[in-house]
Amino acid sequence: MRIVCPFCGERELGEFTCLGDAKPLRPAAGASEDEVFDYVYLRDNIAGEASEHWYHGGGCRAWLKITRNTLTHEISSVEPAAGVGARQVAK
Amino acid sequence: MITSQPHRLTSGGLIDRSLLLNFRFDGKTFAGFQGDTLASALIANGVKLVGRSFKYHRPRGILTAGSEEPNALVELRTGARREPNTKATTAELYDGLEAASQNRWPSLRHDLMAVNQLFSPMFVAGFYYKTFMWPAKFWEAVYEPAIRRAAGLGRAAGVADPDHYDKTWAHCDVLIAGSGPAGLAAALAAGRSGARVILCEDDFALGGRLLADGGTIDGVPAAEWISRTLAELASLPDVRIMTRTTLFGVYDGGTYGAIERVNDHLPSPPEHQVRQRLWRIVAKRSIVAAGAIERPIVFAGNDTPGVMMASAMRSYIARYAATPAKRIALFTNNDDGWRTVEAALDAGLQIAAVVDARPDVSAAHRALAAKTGFAILNGFVSGVDGGKDGVRKISISLAGGARAEVEADGLAVSGGWNPAVGLTSSHRGRPKWQDDISAFVPDGAPPDMVAAGAANGAFGLGACLRQGFAAGAAAAQSAGHSGSAGTPPVADDEAFSLTPLWHVAGKGKAFVDYQHDVTAADIELAQREGFESVEHLKRYTTLGMATDQGKTSNVAGLAIMAAISGKSIPETGTTIYRPPYVPVAIGAFAGHHRDENFHATRLTPSHHWAVEQGAVFVDTGLWKRAQWYPRAGEKDWLETVIREVKAVRSGVGFCDVSTLGKIDVHGPDAGTFLDRVYINTFSNLAVGKARYGLMLREDGMVYDDGTTSRLAEDHYFLTTTTAKAGPVMQHLEFCRQVLFPQFDVQLTSVSDQWAQFSIAGPKTRDLLREIVDPAEDLSNEGFPFMGAREVSLRGGIRARLFRISFSGEMAFEISVPARYGDALVRNLMLAGKQFGVTPYGTEALGVMRIEKGHVAGPELNGTTTAADLGLGKMMSTKKDFVGRVMAGREALVAPDRQVVVGIKPTDRARRLRSGAHVVPKGEIPGPANDQGYVTSVCFSPMLDQWIGLALVERGRERIGEIVHAHDPLRGEDYDVELCNPVFYDPDGGRQRG
Amino acid sequence: MAEFSWLSRSPLEHVLVVGAHGARDVAPGISLTEVRNFDLIQVMARRGKGAELANAAKVRFGMAAPDLPKAVSASDVTLIWSGPDQFLVLSKSGKHTIDILSQAFSQSASLSDQSHARALISVSGAKARAMLAKLSSLDLHPAAFPIYAAAATSIDHTSVNLWRGDDRPDGQAVFNLLVFASFAESLWHTMLDSAAEYGVDIGYSGELG
Repeated sequence: MRIVCPFCGERELGEFTCLGDAKPLRPAAGASEDEVFDYVYLRDNIAGEASEHWYHGGGCRAWLKITRNTLTHEISSVEPAAGVGARQVAK
Repeated sequence: MITSQPHRLTSGGLIDRSLLLNFRFDGKTFAGFQGDTLASALIANGVKLVGRSFKYHRPRGILTAGSEEPNALVELRTGARREPNTKATTAELYDGLEAASQNRWPSLRHDLMAVNQLFSPMFVAGFYYKTFMWPAKFWEAVYEPAIRRAAGLGRAAGVADPDHYDKTWAHCDVLIAGSGPAGLAAALAAGRSGARVILCEDDFALGGRLLADGGTIDGVPAAEWISRTLAELASLPDVRIMTRTTLFGVYDGGTYGAIERVNDHLPSPPEHQVRQRLWRIVAKRSIVAAGAIERPIVFAGNDTPGVMMASAMRSYIARYAATPAKRIALFTNNDDGWRTVEAALDAGLQIAAVVDARPDVSAAHRALAAKTGFAILNGFVSGVDGGKDGVRKISISLAGGARAEVEADGLAVSGGWNPAVGLTSSHRGRPKWQDDISAFVPDGAPPDMVAAGAANGAFGLGACLRQGFAAGAAAAQSAGHSGSAGTPPVADDEAFSLTPLWHVAGKGKAFVDYQHDVTAADIELAQREGFESVEHLKRYTTLGMATDQGKTSNVAGLAIMAAISGKSIPETGTTIYRPPYVPVAIGAFAGHHRDENFHATRLTPSHHWAVEQGAVFVDTGLWKRAQWYPRAGEKDWLETVIREVKAVRSGVGFCDVSTLGKIDVHGPDAGTFLDRVYINTFSNLAVGKARYGLMLREDGMVYDDGTTSRLAEDHYFLTTTTAKAGPVMQHLEFCRQVLFPQFDVQLTSVSDQWAQFSIAGPKTRDLLREIVDPAEDLSNEGFPFMGAREVSLRGGIRARLFRISFSGEMAFEISVPARYGDALVRNLMLAGKQFGVTPYGTEALGVMRIEKGHVAGPELNGTTTAADLGLGKMMSTKKDFVGRVMAGREALVAPDRQVVVGIKPTDRARRLRSGAHVVPKGEIPGPANDQGYVTSVCFSPMLDQWIGLALVERGRERIGEIVHAHDPLRGEDYDVELCNPVFYDPDGGRQRG
Repeated sequence: MAEFSWLSRSPLEHVLVVGAHGARDVAPGISLTEVRNFDLIQVMARRGKGAELANAAKVRFGMAAPDLPKAVSASDVTLIWSGPDQFLVLSKSGKHTIDILSQAFSQSASLSDQSHARALISVSGAKARAMLAKLSSLDLHPAAFPIYAAAATSIDHTSVNLWRGDDRPDGQAVFNLLVFASFAESLWHTMLDSAAEYGVDIGYSGELG
């Protein structure tokens, strides 16, 4: 598999680590145990297009959000994480 | 020297008669020529019997002339280089080659295991499942050992392979598999267009079927066209032609696997060279021009030595000038088979008869038969009279019902051609059935791949050239190269008419899968027993599951299944194709990564100094760490470790802790950021101070721990455990970029920037004063416990000092830029001589941390909470942090959790072992009353007995209770007392002093 | 009181043997040269300070810092892209130290000293690409990896920074590698094994050339 890192260009799979489902968002401080439980444990087992967190640890150390078809391994989009590099994100 | 090759033609062929090569087969010496394969050389020497079959030990000869060979498998080479199941049909002959036949005892000609044939009713499909079922206890004692003795074909060398293997990458626009007419035409078109081209050819010679079949291209003989084409390709800047290289796999994203047999054609690789090289090729486009495989017809006796694929027979005659037979019969259902007749006649051989399943043989072929004087028999071969010495007579069922017999010493068989769909189907693509050639053709290939020529079902020479050229031009264009492809090569198309024929019913064993001894009867049995689906058929009969992956057998097998189950072949379908297309040595996949190079090794800056000291090293992840430093006269490691611990606790010692993960955390929000990743607070840490921190996973379990210091308002220096350095960096980047992107914080690994040593013991300050600049205040007031700051060393080097202790002693950690690590350790030895400074290893480090009840890897094992480790109070309630909510779950705060507690054996002399289970005293050990387990143990020099840490239910409430330690692994049972985990200096006075 | 010497020791000092290695029957296809002493500073822009850092870099180095995978060189310094909004400053020892640069970039970036964290190896020669192909999955074809191209990538699962410098006087491409110090010996062995069949000429230089 090859992934086109938005910063480095096309690289082979071995440079990346997959963390898994990127859909669940970490609940804000003060969220209930149930909400956090869902965030930590509830995952869809998607046969088709899935959104995933990948880390380009063997390259530029950017966290990426990748849309990948779990059936074909086809990657349709690669987006940098919100806080990649020096990107400013409102507090 | 043996020079006679009785079955060699005196002229012709692509062999170099000036280069005579001697070789041995089953101990007998023969000669062949440069350009031979082992198979062609054996044929030239009249050797027909080359192996014994897998189950029935039937005599077998050479069936094919390529990598699809199911029969002629030999052990090649001897000693450590011995390689079983090597195909004689692809093994290049070299001078001194040694090969041996397989699966026979005591000899190939007199194989006692052939007795299996008498029991053949027992060895039908599924016989393992049916035969070895009962009595159950017989499996281990009787069946398995017996099966293991009888099973398998060749013998592995049994010792390490002495050769080197290599792995490498290549990149191109257009990758082409195969150098037949389609492949060469594709390379021409793509190369002329300006594309970067790689062409892989399995064979050592380029040209594919042209090498045996010839023909006329662009008005010149094929051989001349090949050399012209190769010259033009060589003149193009970015065309790479790789011979002896098989494209064996197609992987995601345009990545391909190829194996190059760099030096398999030599007795052993020249010095500094590799035996084989594994290529990972990244290609924008690929063209599969891998040709087609001629398929057998299944009839009784079709495995008799001397029965050979028609195309293989003419390869041996035309390419190798070796004659498999003198009087040849042909059994065919198509025009292509007739080319073997022409080749045989050209070589002056006799044609016994042609058995053609088609009633309407072409006029040209009829004329040839009439002119030459052989009969064309419309019908089927129904039996072969012969044995280990080859074919003698062939029985024929004529179309009208009559029978005939023909005397011949060789039978060429052609059942038509199957395009090689292995590569185009390896992404689960299913090939589709094409009626006019009665074969599966590629379908469902990945979008960047096309098939061309025979691999695409186009069997005419002209069509192969046209398809290959068009595919090459299109591939180059879609890869962004718009140069002109020029004029395509031109040739005529031969006629190809075929009437499908798979199986001739009759008496006697008719083989479908030669290598796994699967017969037509086995397929019929499988169908009767309900194993009708092709995937079931494959597994029940093992059809196509041998190392040849059923290249000659799969289609015939499923055609027979289709016929008996009353379905069409496309309805019956094919099984899944998977890489590798040909067997690939494991050594090639490993490449450089074997033995000491199995993985990369990390060394600390003081490593070579430690080697000089005679340190014993332990692998910790990728690191080599000094485990202890034995001295002359010490009888074992324990004596060494006891000395090291006592030296530290009574004087001073140092330990290399450079392996800890070290991360610079910079930025205005660094403190707030750390508050989110640690359970305790770091934003309020004063500059110049260090603090122990604990981080959780989001599920509430402890992830890692370490000391983090604040070196400046916007700069923290974070340490991790050795094991988690990489994962923690990844986790922190996740927190920074994904979870908490609002914080202005930057992270850099500085693990390798600093050489770091822990200096411990009551004389630590004395030692430090020797090497630290006298202006630095190291007093308890000037540098209090948990202080952290930069200092100057004598000689001007800057260092960082951290007053932290893992050993429980007065201790500092000192770090210097890594290139000074070696100097620092030597200076510590020099300065510490007067104090008896003692280097200590990870074992003494571990002993001292257990004596102090500090948790480490065995306790931070992914199942423990902060409270389990006795660190629950560190958990802040005033802020959000990773793992906070889940750590509060009912089960994670339950009062009966297993928590860290100390243990001591009730018998002071007893040795403890980690892993032992803890059960209440007096209870019978078992899962029902298991209350925990021992995590860490050591012999404590200070207590003069074994001590340990354990995770025990309600452990902290049970201090003083005697429990039972049950160690079924080592067969030990003993009582231990639960105690305070801090065994030594429980009030901590020593480290603060 | 003992007199201490503070000898700087490069991570390859123990293992590097100057001279020929591997095949001798051919002219060496590979030159491997270690550079032993240099300053190497990781510069990472603070949030929202990318433009500010670019300006500060222009002031400090007289050239723009690379914002794409490239290396840029002036007479006394090379700036090597190492990731989004970050680059490495490679210079002769003492020229652009962490102390000096910290002042130049105090408003816009976080700096980390990597001078001792890496070994610097340059690879050149007719077989340099063939040898590097065994280590790296990158396409180093001249069209795909021209002079001054840079990459943050991995060799043997270990992070490295790789960039192409100016060609040698004989026209051969030069590939520079920064590898982590603790891995350096192990990678060196791997490099020698990969290069042995081409013949290797091994050397080192004390300072950045």
